[in-house]
Amino acid sequence: MNTHSDMQAGQDTALPGPTTSKTRLVVNGTERVLEVDNRTTLLDALREHLRLTGTKKGCDHGQCGACTCFVNGQRVNSCLSLAVMHDGDEITTIEGLGTPEDMDPLQAAFVAHDGFQCGYCTPGQICSAKATLEELRAGIPSHVTKDLLANPPLSPEEIKERMSGNICRCGAYANILEAVLDVAEAR
Amino acid sequence: MSYLAPETLEQALSALADPGPMRLVAGGTDVFPALGDRPLRGGLIDLTRVAEMKGIAARDGGWRIGGAVTWREILKTDLPPCFDGLKAAAREVGSVQIQAAGTLAGNLCNASPAADGIPALLALDAEVELASRDGTRRLPLADFVTGVRQTALRPGEILSALHIPVQPEGARSSFLKLGSRRYLVISIVMVSAVLWCRDGRIAGARIAVGAASPVARRLPALEAALTGLAPEALGAVTTPDHLAPLQPIGDVRGSADYRRAAVAELCDRALRKALHG
Amino acid sequence: MDFNTAAETNIFDRPKILGKAVPRRDGPLKTTGRAPYAYERHDVAEGQLVGYPLGSAIAKGRILSMDTEAARAAPGVRAIVTTLDMEAMPVPSEMHTAHLFGGDKVEHYHQAIAVVVAETFEQARAATALIKVEYDADEGAEFDLLAAYEKMKDTPVDPEVSKGDFETAFANAAHRIDRTYVTTPQNHAQMEPQATVAAWDENGNVTLWTSNQMIQWAKKAVAKTFEMDVEKVRVDSPYVGGGFGNKLFIRSDVVLAALGAKAAGQPVKLAMPRPFVMNNTTHRAGTVQRIRIGTDAQGKIVALAHEGTSNTLPGGSGEDATNQSQHFYAADTLLIATRLAEMHLPEANAMRAPGEASGLMGLEMAMDEMAEELGMDPVQFRLVNDTDTSPATGKKFSDRNFARCLTEGAERFGWENRNTTPGSRREGDWLIGHGVAGAFRPSPATTSGARVRLQADGRIIVETDMTDIGTGSYTIIAQTVAEAMGMDIEDVEVRLGDSAFPVSSGSGGQFGAVSSTAGAYAACTALRREVARRIGHNDADGLSFARGNVTAGAKETPLVDIAPEGEIVAEDKVKFGSFRKDRMVATFAAHFVEVGVNAWTGEVRVRRMLGVCDAGRIMNPTTALSQVIGGMVMGVGAALSEEIAVDTAKGVFINHDLANYEVPVHADIPEQEVVFLDTLDPVSGPLKSKGVGELGLCGVAGAVANAVYNATGVRAREYPITLDKLLDGLPEV
Repeated sequence: MNTHSDMQAGQDTALPGPTTSKTRLVVNGTERVLEVDNRTTLLDALREHLRLTGTKKGCDHGQCGACTCFVNGQRVNSCLSLAVMHDGDEITTIEGLGTPEDMDPLQAAFVAHDGFQCGYCTPGQICSAKATLEELRAGIPSHVTKDLLANPPLSPEEIKERMSGNICRCGAYANILEAVLDVAEAR
Repeated sequence: MSYLAPETLEQALSALADPGPMRLVAGGTDVFPALGDRPLRGGLIDLTRVAEMKGIAARDGGWRIGGAVTWREILKTDLPPCFDGLKAAAREVGSVQIQAAGTLAGNLCNASPAADGIPALLALDAEVELASRDGTRRLPLADFVTGVRQTALRPGEILSALHIPVQPEGARSSFLKLGSRRYLVISIVMVSAVLWCRDGRIAGARIAVGAASPVARRLPALEAALTGLAPEALGAVTTPDHLAPLQPIGDVRGSADYRRAAVAELCDRALRKALHG
Repeated sequence: MDFNTAAETNIFDRPKILGKAVPRRDGPLKTTGRAPYAYERHDVAEGQLVGYPLGSAIAKGRILSMDTEAARAAPGVRAIVTTLDMEAMPVPSEMHTAHLFGGDKVEHYHQAIAVVVAETFEQARAATALIKVEYDADEGAEFDLLAAYEKMKDTPVDPEVSKGDFETAFANAAHRIDRTYVTTPQNHAQMEPQATVAAWDENGNVTLWTSNQMIQWAKKAVAKTFEMDVEKVRVDSPYVGGGFGNKLFIRSDVVLAALGAKAAGQPVKLAMPRPFVMNNTTHRAGTVQRIRIGTDAQGKIVALAHEGTSNTLPGGSGEDATNQSQHFYAADTLLIATRLAEMHLPEANAMRAPGEASGLMGLEMAMDEMAEELGMDPVQFRLVNDTDTSPATGKKFSDRNFARCLTEGAERFGWENRNTTPGSRREGDWLIGHGVAGAFRPSPATTSGARVRLQADGRIIVETDMTDIGTGSYTIIAQTVAEAMGMDIEDVEVRLGDSAFPVSSGSGGQFGAVSSTAGAYAACTALRREVARRIGHNDADGLSFARGNVTAGAKETPLVDIAPEGEIVAEDKVKFGSFRKDRMVATFAAHFVEVGVNAWTGEVRVRRMLGVCDAGRIMNPTTALSQVIGGMVMGVGAALSEEIAVDTAKGVFINHDLANYEVPVHADIPEQEVVFLDTLDPVSGPLKSKGVGELGLCGVAGAVANAVYNATGVRAREYPITLDKLLDGLPEV
């Protein structure tokens, strides 16, 4: 068992219970059973244990969106939850959306519209873009939705609002918008 | 670090009674960022699986919102117009990703002066339900948040639910927040208003302001001044006197004077928005 | 290849692939999450342990003791190296200021003072928190730039440039302004924090898989820091998650990973936690800029003084906000001076367009104020003061089309319909304003090498230690080689970022594209010579390379048939001759911005942006456009929200995360239009192109600021222009 130190109390405090857990995740359709340190975030479980490094660590604090992936169909910041909290959950990462040879339409649109530069925020942007289109289709309103009773439109304003949890320091926002609109209109 | 995921409130409370520093977590959207680059320590009790803390239910004419209910669930639930302000707040908490994980109860327990949920819930006259092994007590939200990052939560207690009392017929609400960028904003100030009319006059209003004092505050003088006004008369009604309960500070996001001026404007706008949508 | 005279007509003047909107070559890998960044290179070294850094909790002073006992006993810990275990390691290069590690002296907050190596990230992080440090803080340290400026501003300094008698000309000018502008420190905030995997072999060679813009600099810096033979160092950085100058030089992640790996006897990877990046690495210094402009009655500048003050660690160079003012506008007399306020904030160093990005925030607002003083259209005022010669150096610009940027931009933007009276145009709750600013940024070039390997199957592999930090190097180098060899771009593979490859310019100072493509061209020229030799010709220039064939007279030979037995390797570098320094080679732009300012709250929303850029041949309009729109986004941040908040008592950058250091988000950015003037600059390089990566940022913040003034009538001279700075002066509603 691990021992833990509480700096403020200045003394070690042993706590009951195991410090690792067996966690079952269904990742990109495949069941994966991991023995994880309880402190391991979902993000690090993906990146370090499963070596699915497409999900990025930009801030580890839920402030940039680079770690966005899907949990049970809903987009989340994977840095803000522990792997152990996701026992039994279905996770979809950027690797599950497409491959370089067989890209998802959004991935292809990001390439066509140059919706990225350094590429580090890109997987998170694409996951959020996919979720944005799904949320719009499901009629979930956003801050900029004017008529809460009607389905929100596939407008630039709605898309930009819903994508705003994903920071791109290279500033590819205008091209990302074009890519998302392109796919939205194709549907 | 040990990890426990109780499925009932009783299990959660008993885990909390164990010796050692136990930390409660639900969405994790405040707990993890607050660590900075420090590690997690002690034990973690994950409340997201606690049955009694799930779901939104109509009860006694009002509503019970479970302590593990996320902002996203608020947004997806069909609720009357008096919840529009809370829903608006829900849409402006962090990002959509944050809204999917973060809970209302966590926002209250974190007790940041800039907590997005508190003004809207204050304007709804919300109460908190605090469970412990000795039983359950209820507190008005205004009495629960006692200072910057301070609450009336006692050792061994869990904020198990929020209660929204029955609202006056036809009550409408709004929420506005101000920041220097348009999203992922830590609020400079925010205002939530609930108001209702009778016979073409404003019959009552509740207005709460966040990020302009250590704890979000209602503005009783403004609420009183509104009563009896014709909705058409709602122009610039907020005066400096109305803002007496506030003690804004100056920081990197704005000076105290700026906050005071912005609150007045935001109050007027929130009222108009509540009335006219 | 020596580039000693201006380029004449060459193969790039009838391009088939250069100048085309070729999609990024690295796109499919990046959009599918398969491009491996530094911390993700699980495959390069077996048995990677994880390092975690500890930063100093004081800004200046000494470390008295470090107690690592509890940390060493913590689960999974394999090694701990503290700064007290060694003397200060040498400062890695002349361009670094602070030490990266070693010794008991603390020069700035979060300077690295220990690395803990453990089997997992969680273990390393937990153990790091157990280290107890005793400090002796220097209470007298200075951390306040504005206070320092007040103390030093009246002490005369030797001017950098003094042309004519500025004081007299200014005193006698028909119109004049004397203003002071402030820019706050900024952070690069690239999305990928610094990260390194380090591995030593039994012969004392070290390999660093890292995230770095300048591979050769990094290699030399590692050798200097570790006092080892440079040939024992290998650096590899094929994908870089943004740099903007924050990754120009090695930082503590490299040193800590290498020290940790040595101590643990196993490879170590280490990524900087985001809250560590802001104070441990570098930032753009804050500036205080006093600008005086005097004109004659017609608006011709007769006197221009720009005095810049910035913060720096002792011995550093701060932020020179004055450079563009020496060259950009015609001025009969000039006075340029800089002051350095030495203080113990974290290290100030280069951030995208160092100098001009800040300097134009001052100068272009001053130009706007001067135009108003004159009652002149700000576009016209700039046109009147256009010049084909740098007033400071007397050198002619190799090619300058700034006037076209202004006039074409004005027409496209609808400048004639702008709001002309500040604070007078309303749309509902919003005050509408329009602003313009000019942009100037030198376009240097530097020696750059490459190797091209013609394969038996006719494909070509290009190798150079050039980096692609989002700039598009993979793509434009492939285009250059495909063009030079007359091949399909699909048959060109570009490999970057490995110090085992020929030394390139690297990515910085917007010299990368010009230099590295010229280097690739030099290698291709060598390859063409070798191909000519193989088919029995001495004169490669007489051959034509097209459609995958080489043609000599009537004889056409497929490249596939040139090296059937194996590959042909050719390597060369471009060297830019001194003739280039006889001219001013620079890029120009005009930015036009429309903003709305909320009449009640002072919230600013940018509604429309246009940039017209003069940057020589555009090698790829897609990647060049991305550079410029990205710069414009960064300019919006600089104008409206980006500000490192300094705790002036403790010397700490307080807002050291991405929630509190506010860079623009999607919803902040409106439609952006970018126009590239179709120009060629034969002095710049064989491809006649110039840089755009930094140009796109220059001037943008000034245009936003001028638009805010035009909307509100409130002139906020301290950036960023946050809503509270406008509220008092907003027109009555």
